[in-house]
Amino acid sequence: MNGKDNIEEFLRSTKPQVKHDPTFLLETQRRLKQVEGIKAEVDRQRSHGRVTLIVTLVIGIIIGAAAMFIGYLHPVDMSQVDAGTFDKICIFLTTWKQYLFIPIAALSVSLALLLSRTRKVQF
Amino acid sequence: MTQERFIDLVRTEQEPLRRFLLGLCSGNASMADDLAQDALVRAYVASGSFLGLSKFSTWLFRIAYNCFIDHCRKATLDTVSSESFEAQSVLSEDSTDDAFRYQQLYQALDRIPEKERAAIVLHYFEDHDIKEISSIMQIPSGTVKYLLSTGRNHLKEYLSI
Repeated sequence: MNGKDNIEEFLRSTKPQVKHDPTFLLETQRRLKQVEGIKAEVDRQRSHGRVTLIVTLVIGIIIGAAAMFIGYLHPVDMSQVDAGTFDKICIFLTTWKQYLFIPIAALSVSLALLLSRTRKVQF
Repeated sequence: MTQERFIDLVRTEQEPLRRFLLGLCSGNASMADDLAQDALVRAYVASGSFLGLSKFSTWLFRIAYNCFIDHCRKATLDTVSSESFEAQSVLSEDSTDDAFRYQQLYQALDRIPEKERAAIVLHYFEDHDIKEISSIMQIPSGTVKYLLSTGRNHLKEYLSI
């Protein structure tokens, strides 16, 4: 019998013995339940984030559209107003009212992203 | 995969899995069981990716082997070595001769590189063929044969056989 056979025989006859442990599967089941809990919480957070995102986007679009609509319904004759700081802002807004929805939409998207990320899963 | 189905599959595989990790951990039973639990949780989380293309045991052993490799990367080897011969709890029930054999085996396993140890444990203790070992360790069959050969030579040296 050569060295290879000897070592093979030794290894095959000296398999590690595992103690029977009935608590092992119970511990596994306990951990899997925890995993299920975490999965459910993550799903809940995701769906909460999606709803927040959609609601904020819709609100942003509505406010943007309303601002544009009001701007068009109530035109101001700029030659009649003083050029104070507030008036300058009004003139600026009136001049660029067709683009007003862009910053409002951008703000609402940022807000939506921020709100959907602030809450964390705690276990 | 439902939790019940997963537990059913694990029920039949838990003993080989624990034995595999016991061999990898050079007889450290508590570390082996901790790694087995981690592997089972990882397997459950990833159970959606198990398509049944390989045997469940092969897939599970691959995850367990990756857990072991991750653990080795994190842990300092000194800690592993100092705890390696905690196998007394298992050995105390055996005869002195058997206890001595196991102690020798675990000491020798602890001295060989992890990849050689994994190949030896899978082939001689778990009776996996080269193809299965190649799939578990994600290395070519030729490398498995090489690891088995060098592992045997190292063990022969350390066991004085």
